[in-house]
Amino acid sequence: MTELLNKLAAWGVNVAIAFTALRTNLMRSILTTLGVMIGVFSVILAVAVGNGAQVSVTQQIATLGSNMAIVLPEPERANGPPRPGDRGRLTERDGEAIARQVPGVVAVAPQIRTSVQLVTGGRSASTQAIGSTESFASISNLGTADGRFLTRSDIGSAARVVVIGQTVADKLFIDVNPIGEKVRINRVPFTVIGLLESKGSNLGNDNDDQIIVPITTLRQRLSTTTAQGPDDVTLLFVGFEDEDTLVAGDREIKNLLRARYRVSKGKITPFTVRTTKEIAETSGEVTQIFQAVLVAIASISLLVGGIGIMNIMLVSVTERTREIGLRMALGAKRSDIRNQFLVEAAVLCIIGGGIGLLLAMVAAAIFQQVADFPAPIGLDTALLAIAFSGIIGLVFGGYPAIRASRLSPIEALRSE
Amino acid sequence: MTAPLLETRDLIKNYVIGGEMVHAVNGVSLRIDRGEFVAIMGASGSGKSTFMNMIGCLDVPTSGVLKLDGIDTRTLNSDELAEIRNRKIGFVFQQFNLLARTSALDNVAVPLIYAGVGPAERRARAQARLEAMGLGNRLLNTPAKLSGGQQQRVAIARALVTNPLILLADEPTGALDTQTSLDIMGIFQKLNDEGITLVVVTHEPDIAEYAARRIVFRDGKVIEDEAVTSRRRAVSS
Repeated sequence: MTELLNKLAAWGVNVAIAFTALRTNLMRSILTTLGVMIGVFSVILAVAVGNGAQVSVTQQIATLGSNMAIVLPEPERANGPPRPGDRGRLTERDGEAIARQVPGVVAVAPQIRTSVQLVTGGRSASTQAIGSTESFASISNLGTADGRFLTRSDIGSAARVVVIGQTVADKLFIDVNPIGEKVRINRVPFTVIGLLESKGSNLGNDNDDQIIVPITTLRQRLSTTTAQGPDDVTLLFVGFEDEDTLVAGDREIKNLLRARYRVSKGKITPFTVRTTKEIAETSGEVTQIFQAVLVAIASISLLVGGIGIMNIMLVSVTERTREIGLRMALGAKRSDIRNQFLVEAAVLCIIGGGIGLLLAMVAAAIFQQVADFPAPIGLDTALLAIAFSGIIGLVFGGYPAIRASRLSPIEALRSE
Repeated sequence: MTAPLLETRDLIKNYVIGGEMVHAVNGVSLRIDRGEFVAIMGASGSGKSTFMNMIGCLDVPTSGVLKLDGIDTRTLNSDELAEIRNRKIGFVFQQFNLLARTSALDNVAVPLIYAGVGPAERRARAQARLEAMGLGNRLLNTPAKLSGGQQQRVAIARALVTNPLILLADEPTGALDTQTSLDIMGIFQKLNDEGITLVVVTHEPDIAEYAARRIVFRDGKVIEDEAVTSRRRAVSS
């Protein structure tokens, strides 16, 4: 027990020696620390941004709804986005067929999307209108914060009712409860029946900047540019019971549509089916690669910082050769000398790492405010950063420290 | 009959400098007993400093026997030698070799750090040694704020703080004026009177006269080893 205390005290002495030495060459110490500081700063920020991207993607996927597939009337392309000529047809009847014939399908919500202009009481807003059915809410986890969602009878009667997103509500209605208010959408009067729950934004994409109207009303009252036929849709949302049926459903939907559109064997399927599971997986992979690349680049600066530490420690050992010789003459063992310089390097690094961490936290907070992008720095990241800087000190301080400890006492004492 | 404090037989130290073999110490056999006050003299290059470094366990002999307090130091590894230097030997250097920007108290306490002594005891023992050297009012001064004589007294306090068997001083007055040199030799005589064994390397004949025994080196060998006949006494200030 007392031995342990003595050991701890010995390390404490080394820390005190380190601070004296670092104070002696204050400017040099600060500049050396700067290297580690920048390194730790960039690594932590890279980790934080990577975490933020992951959080963001997870949120976005959650807003899509779970166990859902999106069917688009365009062939899957391995490289790059679809070309304009790719776009085929997809109809509400296709959706009904999918609901009937594909196992595990709970509901299908057809969608037509178009840009619209909303006007009320002298205010106006441009947004995207989604024409859909009552199933849309359940499939894509949409809830209402106030009022109600579309009902079957709204669809049947092509009612001029609209459910608006939070952003749209903020633009049009100030100090007024929007429920029951009249708005003109592309000059057609509608009644606001509901306010969607906020889904926030991710990666600069505002999920609340949209309105939802009955698909029938959109077709009849609001001009659409995408539809070619009377029951054409932009896309279909297909809700599944569970993950198993969702995974199988991918193929099932494609086969069904190939049959319905008589696509001959060997020809490319003119439809794309994206499941939330796939989206989650690919997005997860992409963000992981993104994070790895960021951290790798940032690590280079940490490496440079570490080399700076090694450089300055070698200089320090050379300058203090006489002191090393004296300490040896007074009874310091090789391990005492080694530890002294190791502690000095670690102290430099931990100070640099600590400041780097604080700066990274400030930068992450600013980033979050300005760019509306989450960059969380958890306690684990913070502790890891401090531990990592200490390790950098031990690794890059190791060689100079061992070199110091191997000096011959008499040669060290004789040096000028 | 106790073993001699220090015993050497046919001690040899060779260096190779610029491809040429230098016999720095070339067969030295002598013994130093407890309580002696020995002056080692010789011109530069005579081997007296090399001999001193070997008996101080700072340098290792090429061949021969070197026993300190009955221990054959040639069989020891670097950690064991460090411990011998720490526990059994006190060094005093020509250039004092105090740590800059470090208080007298902390300088004196350095050997106790390596002896594994706790902070409170280190402080107490270092303070007692400094007070015994008449530096009780200089505890927190850094070397830059002390005169040469005061610095050397701090160094002596440091050499004594682990209660060593022997004090080795290499040209301890070489950087001091005459009066301060006398003071230092007075301190050494007083310490010797208290029973401490001293070996002082000097090239000044009158400094050697404060010792009780004089050993003269030339070309790596002892050419003279006799009691000091007209011994001087310094009155310690």
